Amino acid sequence: MGAFDVLGIAGSSMALHQTWLDCLSNNIANINTARPTSGPAFQAQYAMAAAVPGGGVRLSGIAVGDPTGRVVYQPDSPLADAKGYVRMPDIDLGSQMSQLIMAQRGFQAQAAVVRDAQDVYASALSIGR
Amino acid sequence: MSIPAVGPVAFTPFVPGTLPVDSATAAGATQGSTGADFGQLLANGLQQLQGLHAQSDQLAVAAATGDLNAIHDYTITATEAAVATQLTAAVRNKALEAFQSIMQMPI
Repeated sequence: MGAFDVLGIAGSSMALHQTWLDCLSNNIANINTARPTSGPAFQAQYAMAAAVPGGGVRLSGIAVGDPTGRVVYQPDSPLADAKGYVRMPDIDLGSQMSQLIMAQRGFQAQAAVVRDAQDVYASALSIGR
Repeated sequence: MSIPAVGPVAFTPFVPGTLPVDSATAAGATQGSTGADFGQLLANGLQQLQGLHAQSDQLAVAAATGDLNAIHDYTITATEAAVATQLTAAVRNKALEAFQSIMQMPI
């Protein structure tokens, strides 16, 4: 255990939250991405976290959503099949926005930890001054 | 209502160890110090500090060239370097203070 472990652990958490934010951004960006029914739908990405035994968190992998998606009747679409259907991704915007807030709050909380750690180091340095 | 006992956690928090006591000092012997210990300590500290600064500079360049993947990578490394610098400066000032107190001792 070193003196700057707080910063290392905070860094790992901020990296994970950034990946989570990236995944959410990608999901929201592709929420209207239609695909032909012959292929799979756009699959939502979900960042999976795992605790590091020595302290900190890491990305254990990125899970993907259902390739079936939702089959929607859109006869105007150039991607529509003979019956007029396209495949839309199975992403709930409400859920994505809630997760966006969670990821943002998590990142901000970790940034606050870094700020406080800096204050702690400063007060330790001021001993005997 | 009963409160369950807190189970053990995998993450082991920082446990301050006891400082190693020099056996010569502990025995009360007045042996002259070789003086290499503090010098070595300071040299190691400075070397580590230089490494931190090099890392911080590297990330600053990455930020300028657009190669930086995460903003916090730079800010955290810069914070670490800044705190380490302050610590080294504090150690140096304290050592100088101690030296001056000894030099000003009336004989």
